[in-house]
Amino acid sequence: MFSAFANPARFMAFSAGAAPALFVGALILFATGIPWALFYSPADYQMGDTARIMYVHVPAAWWSMGVYAFMTGASFVSLVWRHVLADVAARAAAPVGAVFAAICLITGSLWGAPTWGTWWEWDGRMTSMLVLFITYLGYLALWAAVEDEEKAARLAAILCLVGAINLPIVKFSVDWWSTLHQPASIMRSGGSAIHPEMLGPLLTMAGAYLLLFGALTLMNMRSAIHRRRVENARLRGAQA
Amino acid sequence: MIEGGWEYIWPAYAVALGGLTVLTVVVLARLLAWSRQARDLDRPK
Repeated sequence: MFSAFANPARFMAFSAGAAPALFVGALILFATGIPWALFYSPADYQMGDTARIMYVHVPAAWWSMGVYAFMTGASFVSLVWRHVLADVAARAAAPVGAVFAAICLITGSLWGAPTWGTWWEWDGRMTSMLVLFITYLGYLALWAAVEDEEKAARLAAILCLVGAINLPIVKFSVDWWSTLHQPASIMRSGGSAIHPEMLGPLLTMAGAYLLLFGALTLMNMRSAIHRRRVENARLRGAQA
Repeated sequence: MIEGGWEYIWPAYAVALGGLTVLTVVVLARLLAWSRQARDLDRPK
């Protein structure tokens, strides 16, 4: 699987069809999920309509962690097997994950204000999610700061692997510490505690975020491959 | 049960969908710019 995409030409042929297909899939799921979430799902018996923020907040939270896990895997493959596209994939995913983390933090704050009476609390879940967002920014800043791309890839991969320590902290913070944030209600032992009428739009929106992540990451990877090719040609032109 | 709350719901959706839209536009613009430059390399000079 990994070696099949070690050839950039093969990857470009694959992604030319896959990126638009994933993008169209994301648009269809958003077009279904947003009206379902806003107008056709039931209000929560305690939080009322404010629970509708869940449909944009929770997928952003899930996939900000999922994207980071993907980057961790790609960074590991890049460091161990020197796969030519692994560092490209990790770097391409990072801005998407950073935006997901920012959306999670801002929508969480907008949800916290009416339900908890506060926009922010330094509890385990919120603080560890903020650390994840800052790690994304640090990862992107490192890539931008180091001119030698091979060195930047190595340093960024190490930073990514170190930052992965935060993932279980984000996930289990609500179990380890007494937090204002509610405990997991879907991905938990004993099964989902969410009402099935709310689960449908939530999973639809989660699918939309996932497909958008796939489309944008493939597009970013294509940009990076084009850019490397153009810069190499310019370098050869300057040397000639 | 908390009543209302739409003054928080609309901004949350605006932030989420606005953020994803801006990200998509930036990614697409970068891809178009670099693919145009890469295509120029293949043109006979």
